[in-house]
This record gives sequence, structure tokens and C-alpha cells, in this order.
Amino acid sequence: MTDPALIETRNLSKRYGDKVAVNNVSFDVRGGEIFGFLGPNGAGKTTTIKMIVGLLQPTAGAVKVAGYDIQAQPLQAKAASGYVPDTPNLYAKLTGRELLRFVGDLYDVDRGQVSRRIDELLRMFDLTPAGDDTVDSYSHGMQQKISLAAALMHDPRVLVLDEPTVGLDPKSARLIKDILRQMAERGAAVFLSTHILEIAERMCDRIGIINKGALIAVGTMDELREIGKAGESSLEDIFLGLTGGAEEAEIAEILK
Amino acid sequence: MTASPPTSRRLFTMVWKLLRLRLLISINSFRHAKTSRKVVTVIAMLGLLAFIAVIFVLSWTLLSFLRSPELGEIIALDPAPFLEMVPVLILTSLFLGILLTSFGVLLQALYLSGDMDFLLSSPMPIRAVFIAKLLQAILPNFGLISLFGLPVLFGLGISAGYNFLYYPFVVLVMVVLALAAAGISALLVMLVVRVLPPRRAAEILGFLGATLGLVCSQIGNFTQSFNENANITGEQVTGIASTLVSINTPWMPLNWAGQGLVAIGEARWLSGLLLVGLTLVLSALAFVVALNTAERWYYSGWAGMQVVAHKKKPDRMTRRHSVARSERLHPLARLLPNPVRGILVKDFLVLRRDLRNLSQLISPLILGVIYSLMIFRTGGEPPPGQGEAPAWFMESFRVVLTYGSVGMSLFVGWMLLGRLAGMGFSQEGKNFWILKASPARPRHLLAAKFLVAYLPALALGWLFLVGLSIVQRLPLGDFLYSLLAVALCLAGMTGILLAFGVAGTNLTWEDPRKMTAGGMGCLGQLLTMLYLPIAFGLFIGPVWAVVAFKLPVALGYLGGLLLGGGTCLAGAILPLSLARRKLERLGEA
Repeated sequence: MTDPALIETRNLSKRYGDKVAVNNVSFDVRGGEIFGFLGPNGAGKTTTIKMIVGLLQPTAGAVKVAGYDIQAQPLQAKAASGYVPDTPNLYAKLTGRELLRFVGDLYDVDRGQVSRRIDELLRMFDLTPAGDDTVDSYSHGMQQKISLAAALMHDPRVLVLDEPTVGLDPKSARLIKDILRQMAERGAAVFLSTHILEIAERMCDRIGIINKGALIAVGTMDELREIGKAGESSLEDIFLGLTGGAEEAEIAEILK
Repeated sequence: MTASPPTSRRLFTMVWKLLRLRLLISINSFRHAKTSRKVVTVIAMLGLLAFIAVIFVLSWTLLSFLRSPELGEIIALDPAPFLEMVPVLILTSLFLGILLTSFGVLLQALYLSGDMDFLLSSPMPIRAVFIAKLLQAILPNFGLISLFGLPVLFGLGISAGYNFLYYPFVVLVMVVLALAAAGISALLVMLVVRVLPPRRAAEILGFLGATLGLVCSQIGNFTQSFNENANITGEQVTGIASTLVSINTPWMPLNWAGQGLVAIGEARWLSGLLLVGLTLVLSALAFVVALNTAERWYYSGWAGMQVVAHKKKPDRMTRRHSVARSERLHPLARLLPNPVRGILVKDFLVLRRDLRNLSQLISPLILGVIYSLMIFRTGGEPPPGQGEAPAWFMESFRVVLTYGSVGMSLFVGWMLLGRLAGMGFSQEGKNFWILKASPARPRHLLAAKFLVAYLPALALGWLFLVGLSIVQRLPLGDFLYSLLAVALCLAGMTGILLAFGVAGTNLTWEDPRKMTAGGMGCLGQLLTMLYLPIAFGLFIGPVWAVVAFKLPVALGYLGGLLLGGGTCLAGAILPLSLARRKLERLGEA
């Protein structure tokens, strides 16, 4: 793979007093790649993501986005990235169209292009009829879609998504997967966290597994199979084997 | 599985379980609170008990006095009908008070608290859930009304030597009336929710409540200030008492409870038991019917299906025109960097559309109008006094009064800035991540928030200034100077309040009315209270000096602009430059 690394984390750590949320995490995500970030609840996924997009200051280590250090050159790094959080907290009293225009202004998108881009995104996400309704009238799925539309407003080179398919109907989930694939094909780096292992297995070029704040495995599916125990072929088996969830899975099997 | 009607024993067990849960939550909140908060709570409880005792003694004494022959000499009216009216007044207030106050609490409890789905999906009778919700809704307000009403009613009983049965009946009637009011209130909630989404209804309610409360309290102050020297005559008291007594007719069902209680107290058993019995039966009936209907409407989803048709969507051409119109910018706005302009437009839209914000924003307008009327009812002339003040003092006083309009404009601006600048960043709440993850520079964020606060405050300040200047017939020179002074003073205040707002930002609120910026916000307000008279003084001081020393007024203007203007610009710029570093790390909890 010759594309440059668009996300680089080096020895990234975050501590809250004595509690270590993220411990010495290092990985790269290259342009054209979809990187899946997996881990049990409370493993440190969201904390890592927040450090990548500049919402949280790392205790130690460094993050580079599109070649810019998020600490030293935050504005350039942020201008290159788009972020979709796990909970779409959006301005409830703005219409979808107004929200996208606001984001366009924040990312300094050329004013002449903003209207065209808004129409494009609303059409793409099937939100044109709701474009002039306020966000508080949107369903969870519509809010998730407008949140993704906002992240795409400035055509970012790096897209970071935290649980992007939660609460979406199958059609919208498929749409998002297609969009992410298109983004990657156009050379963008897509970093997504998910609990749905099937999505990670089918969509992601490489996968990182984080557990108790530490990155315990990174690689393609084939590489992960080699890391995992013998005979484990599905991502679910590999994930449970690595994160210590296999025993619970066996108990669940007995209880059936 | 079919649901069989719950037995009353099971029903009350479940209601008790739900109430015990609420009690447990309250006890846990108290146990886990800070020691200082616990101490304050205990002191408040003791204070409440003392307050009840004071009200009880006061009412006893006052009501005994009303029966005294000395009063009969002042007022040409038999006090007995008026005293008989007291229970009627208190019980009517209780009923209407619970009816109105329960509305907001029930709207929250039934539609916005989020626990109804959990409770209704559990094996618990829906009636138990409703009764528990109604009781939770009325308890605080019932307690509050009883706090004032019960001691007065008991005081009345003791002062009039009423029969002992009067006392338990007072409590019983109050409870039953409160339940009936809460039941009817629940139905009203559902009728409103049928028309409006619950969140919108809560916003409108909050807006109306806050605005009406403010208007009523200020009108009270206003009236009091106008009548402060007026003595209430015996005729006026007689007139008020006669009006009240004339309302106490047997044709109003709400009067029956009070009339019945008085009759029981006076051992007129037949009429007393009949009227109280009627009240109890009708109230219980109203409660049961309301409860049944509310349950049915809630469970069938009737209330949730809003009947108001959605606004007709504009056709494509109209929409395109409206979009084009919204894209058209004020020529000055084009000069602003994109992020600043974006935040400016966004904040004005959000502030205007959220009624909960609007109620905070119109307070300065209401207060400004009322205080302007109070201050300038003399026509802007100094009071004549005793005629002993020297001429130079009266002339200086006139200068101060001339700039009273500036003071009033600054006051309304200050009030507005407390909300717009002091909570400029707090108002982002959980949406702050959008600004934080964007490449907007901190100086752009500060500039945008500065303008969001400053422009409305300036507009309101100038509006008052223009209006008051016309009333005062201010000379053109003074008027223009006042315009500049207001603009500069408000700029300084905006800078100070915004900087303190950054230091005390709260991004975790759920309700905009609870986004107070904490201790830092308070400190900012205090500092501006200190800054304002200094800046104002530096503007009018030189003008006052040149008038006193009979020098050209232009010199005073120049001096005021240099001194006051310099101070204001320092206030606008320095605190913000200090807050910039804090802003870079904002929201990284």
C-alpha cells in the first residue's frame, strides 16, 4: 500500500487520575483504507476517537491527522477531518439545511459551493423533504444521517465515525456503508468504531482491537486469524478470544 | 395473559412502592449531597417549621383582632361574613393553585421524564402509576399551599372557638380538593398534548410562566411605588371586604367546602355536613372520572396523536425563494470571516426559536420599561427639595438626570448581557463538540460570541436611549454623546462577562434555564456592577466638571470619550485575551 498515513497515533495515552483510559496506543490509518476499531464497552474506543479529532487532550503521545499534529497544528488537522459522534447532539432548533450551512461556514467552505453541497448531501441522504424542518423533529436515524452529512460537508480527507450505524434502518445503514466505501475509494481514510462485528468484518480493510485501554491486535482479517487462537475463523471468535469473552459465550451457549 | 382489574390492596401496595422509590431517591440525594448542602437543607426545614408557627400565631392574633369591637368602630362592617369568607378564599386558592401548578409538573412527569415506558412495561397496574404520578405532582405544591393555608384555617378555628370536628375536616377537604384539581390538570395536559408536542408545550408554558411572573411582580412593585405615600382609608377596606363577601354565594360549588367547614365549626351540623359531604363526593367523583379518562387517553395513545395539521410544506419555487432570501446577507456580514458569520446566524436563530431562551431575553425589556416609567415619571426634572440646595448643586444634579437615560440604557443592556455574554459558551451545551471539532480559531469563536451578545444589547440600549431622550427632549449633542457612551460601556461589559462566562462554562445542562455559569458567572456580574458606575462616571464626570466650572461642553465630551472610552475598550479587549487560552481547552473534561 503506497497511500500516506492520514491518521497516525504514537504512544497515545489518556489518564484520569489513577484510572488509565487509553494506554500507549499506536497505529496508522492510510488513505483509501477503512479501519475498524473494536473493543468491549469501556475499553477506550471513544476516548481514543476524541483524542484523534481534537476533543480531548492526550496525557501522553501524539496524534497526526493528514500529516498535522493535532496538538501543534489543531486547525489544519481539524480542517482535514470530519467527525460523527456516537450520540448526535445537534442544534435542535436549526433546520437540517441551516445546520449544514453553519457547518459549511465553520469549515470555511466557499459560500458559492455551500448551497450546491447542501442540496447534494440532502438528496444523497434522502433528507430533502425534511431539509427545512428543525432537527428536533427528526428521528434518531435522521439525526444520525444529518450528522454524517455535516461531517461530509467540507469533503474531508479523514473521516472518523463513532458507532455510525446505531439506530439506523437497514436501508440507511447500507447507504452509509456505501458512502464510506466511496470515500475510501477516493483516497480518504475512514476510521470507524463499531460493536457490530459483521460490519467490521465485511467493510473494513484493517481492524484494531482495544481492550482495557491497550491496543491488543491490529491487522487485516487474515492477520487477526493468525494472532487469534487456532481454528477461529470469524471475527466474533477472534474478538471474544482476544478480549476474554469466550467463556461468557460458552456459558450463553449452555444456557440455550 | 389478560389483565384482571387490580384489587385495592394491590393497587395501594403498588402506589406505596412507587412513592417509596421517590422517597428513596430523595433520601439518597440528601445522603450523597455535600455537607454544606445538607446543613442548608436542615436549616431550611427548621426555618419552614418556624415559619408555620409564625403564620399560625399571626393568623390567630389577627383573626381575633378582626372580631374585636375596636375594629368595628373603624370599619362600618360586621367582620363575621368576612371571616366566614376566609376558608372559601383559601380553599379556592388551593384548588386553582394546584390545578395550575400541577399542569407543568404532570406534563413533565407523564411525557418528558422518560420513566413512563419503563413503569408501564412492568407488571404494575397503570392506575397505580397514574395515582403515584398525580401524588408526586401535587405533593410539593400542596405542601406549599398548606404551609400558608393550614395555619390560617386552624388560627381561624381557634380564634372563633370552632367545634373540634372542624380541624380534621379542614385537612380532609384540602386533600380531596387537591386530588380533584390534579386529576383535572392531568386531563388538561392530555388535551394540550393532543394539540402540541409535549416539549413545545413545556417551552410555551415556561415562557408564559416566567413572563407572567415577572410582569406581575414588577407591576406590583410599580403600583406600590406609586401608592407608597397613599394611606388606605377605612372606606377602602370596607369596600374590599364587601366585594369579597359578595362573592361568597352558595351558587359556586367551590364555595361549598369553605361554607360547610364554617358551619361544622359553628355546630350547624345539617348544612355543614351537607355542604362538606357534597364537596367530598363531587371532588372524589371528579378525581375518579379524571383518573379513568386520563388512563384511557394515555394508554390508547389518543393524547399522543396530535390533531393539528402540520404546516403545509412550501412548494419548490417558494422554498427556493426563501432559501435565496436566507442566503442574502447584510453587506456588513460579508466582511466577517465565515466561522464568525456562521456562529452569529446560528445563535440568533437558536435564541429566537427556543422559547425557553426567549423568556430570559425579554426580562430586560419588561424591567426596562417599568423602571423607566418609575424613574422618569417626574419628567426628568430634579425634585424641588426644601429650596436650600445651592444653584451649582441643582445644575449638577440636572446633568446627572440628563444622563439618567444612559444609566437606564446601560441597565437593560447589562441585564441582557448577563444572559447573552455570561452564558455565551454555556448555551452551546452538548453541541459544543461541533465548534470544538471544527477548525474555527479561538479568536473567531470569541469574536462571534462577542457580537452575538453585543449587538442585541446595543440595539436594546439604544432603543431605550432614543425613547427616553425624546421624552426628556435631550439636546442633539448630549444625545449623540450618550449614544457613544452606551455603545462603549456595553462593549466593555460584554468583554468582561464573556471572559468570565468562558471561565465558568457549563456544557452539561439539559434545560436552558439551568445553564447558569456558576461562581464565575456571578463574579463576572459583580465585577460589571463595579465597572459600570466607574465607566459611566468617567463619561459623565468630565461633562459635569465643565458644566460646574462653566467651561465649553465640547471639552467635557472629549475628556469623557478619552477617559470612559479608554476604560471601556480595555474592558472589551483585556479579559478576552486572558480567556483565550482557557477557551482552547474548553470541553476537555
